[in-house]
Amino acid sequence: MSAIRAVILCQANLVATHRESCGCPSYFKRELGVIVRGRQFTSLPEQSQDPYVRFTMITQLKLEFLKLIRSRSFFLSFIALTIFVALMLWGFYSYAERKAGEQVTAQFKYTYESKSYFNGLTFALYSVMFSFSLLIPIFVAMTAGAQIAGERQAGTLRMMCVRPVSRVSLFLSKFLVVAFYTYLLVTFFIGLNLLVGLCFVGWGDLQLYPGALNLVDEPGKLLRDEALLRFVYASLSGTWALLVIAAIAMLFSVLFENPAMATVATLAVYLVFHIIGRIEFFEHLRPYFFTTDMDFWRDVFKPQIPWQSFQHYGAVCGAYIFGTLLVATAIFDRKDITS
Amino acid sequence: MWAKILLTALCLLMIGTAVRFDPSRQRSLLAAKPSDGPRLRLMTWNIGYAELEDDSRAHTKDLKTVADTILSNDPDAIALQELTGPEQLKVLLGYLHGRYSGAVAPPGNSDRVDAVLVKDGKAHFENLAADGKYAIAASFHLRPQSPGVVLVSAHADAFSATRRRVFTGEVVDWARGRPGGSIVLIGGDFNFALDAKDESHFYSDNVKHDSEAYSYVLKYFRDLGREAGYTAINDRRIDYIFGPPETVLLRRAEVLQSAGTGQMDHWPLLVEVTL
Repeated sequence: MSAIRAVILCQANLVATHRESCGCPSYFKRELGVIVRGRQFTSLPEQSQDPYVRFTMITQLKLEFLKLIRSRSFFLSFIALTIFVALMLWGFYSYAERKAGEQVTAQFKYTYESKSYFNGLTFALYSVMFSFSLLIPIFVAMTAGAQIAGERQAGTLRMMCVRPVSRVSLFLSKFLVVAFYTYLLVTFFIGLNLLVGLCFVGWGDLQLYPGALNLVDEPGKLLRDEALLRFVYASLSGTWALLVIAAIAMLFSVLFENPAMATVATLAVYLVFHIIGRIEFFEHLRPYFFTTDMDFWRDVFKPQIPWQSFQHYGAVCGAYIFGTLLVATAIFDRKDITS
Repeated sequence: MWAKILLTALCLLMIGTAVRFDPSRQRSLLAAKPSDGPRLRLMTWNIGYAELEDDSRAHTKDLKTVADTILSNDPDAIALQELTGPEQLKVLLGYLHGRYSGAVAPPGNSDRVDAVLVKDGKAHFENLAADGKYAIAASFHLRPQSPGVVLVSAHADAFSATRRRVFTGEVVDWARGRPGGSIVLIGGDFNFALDAKDESHFYSDNVKHDSEAYSYVLKYFRDLGREAGYTAINDRRIDYIFGPPETVLLRRAEVLQSAGTGQMDHWPLLVEVTL
């Protein structure tokens, strides 16, 4: 009991000190909930009468969202993706020029290999496929990895846990904001690729060939409007797949003190499974890797979407997401915050 | 606590969904060499004549050409329609130099029969009754270890959309009832008039019946020859090979428009899939 009392006193002192010295908004200063291992022990009588301290999930989400859009990494990720699209466009132009001569780039939109094959939708598909495996996961891991560990490193986590909000709510609101960010990122990237494809390459039907990249399992064709609808589907399925990485990053963010460590650990796990899954020696292990399940998102580009398989792998990803979040919340709820 | 309970429930729900929707194929990965299974090549061909002829059934004199087309394209199984009877099948099998075994369906209330030919000598043939006539199915294995394949040869009524709808429904229901693990494909001339512009008067429900019959097939099967083009004269696509939606991968679908002889009004549809 004496140990608990000591912690309560320590936290109360900390909050009192913080109230006087920091530049936090007034509603932060007015609250004084003392939390030990996730349980709220005391709160001031005035708390229930103050509308500012009745933190709901929505308020929490608003705060986290504001934090996200004010962070540098938020804009950095969008800028990096824009640069990537520009590089892809340059790469396609130079490749076409090298393969088919200079006259090709003079009428780039009509003359690459086949009139009907190469168009803005093909460009967008290739660009999305290339970036989805390696580029976008970095930003998702970076943002999700910084959620808890970043607060801890900045010294604000303790203060946040002192607020009369449960740690689970705090954690879930952070995850929801990461999920929204992931959707925004994927949608922005797909939209930008389609826009660039329309302006610089031109639109048409989407012709699909397995090829060396094994983009699809079988040759086929999607009419333009159907293909655009499939890109919309891809923004949803892609986000769902990326949330597996986000959930793992959130778990590491709870476990590690440093956001860089959480991000690197997430990317290490992801890349190890991603690379090993592509080596033929480990073909028999592929079904056990979460990266194999994550790849389900591109099933939406198959001429006929294999719904049975799509639902299976989507559900497996869901199990990874909610299972990892459950573990992370359980750990975070019981974790001593000593920083 | 509510949040943890919710997360646990969602996790369990996802696991349950994953178990419920068991995929029929392993995932192929981006930029990884796809694991290609054995290839199955199928053909369907109505070898009858156009309706303008005195006898619109298959003519025995054309069977040599039919056999040459089969041998040059080397399908593993063939669904044929509008034969006159088992005699024609016997002649055709003779032209095929014993490379195929086959069977014809009983005529039922029709004057023409369907046949199915398979390379596998151990194939098992089965008649299925539908709307007063018969279709025929062959069960075989492409390789000893590969899953069983069932090919149905069917011919729906050319004149009544109502009968086509009933016939199609019964064939599909039979195909759905095959034991799990076997790959069922339906090939044949279904005579669906799916294009509204072909409808010449306002007093029939033909398009409605055919659309609903086609939709019913697509509920459980996939139209493998959809991109292959017209299969009969007058720009009509009325011959189909329907396959399982996910178990097989489509590698090739082609209408062999140079095949045929005499007054035949259909071309063979050739489909190649990976099991």
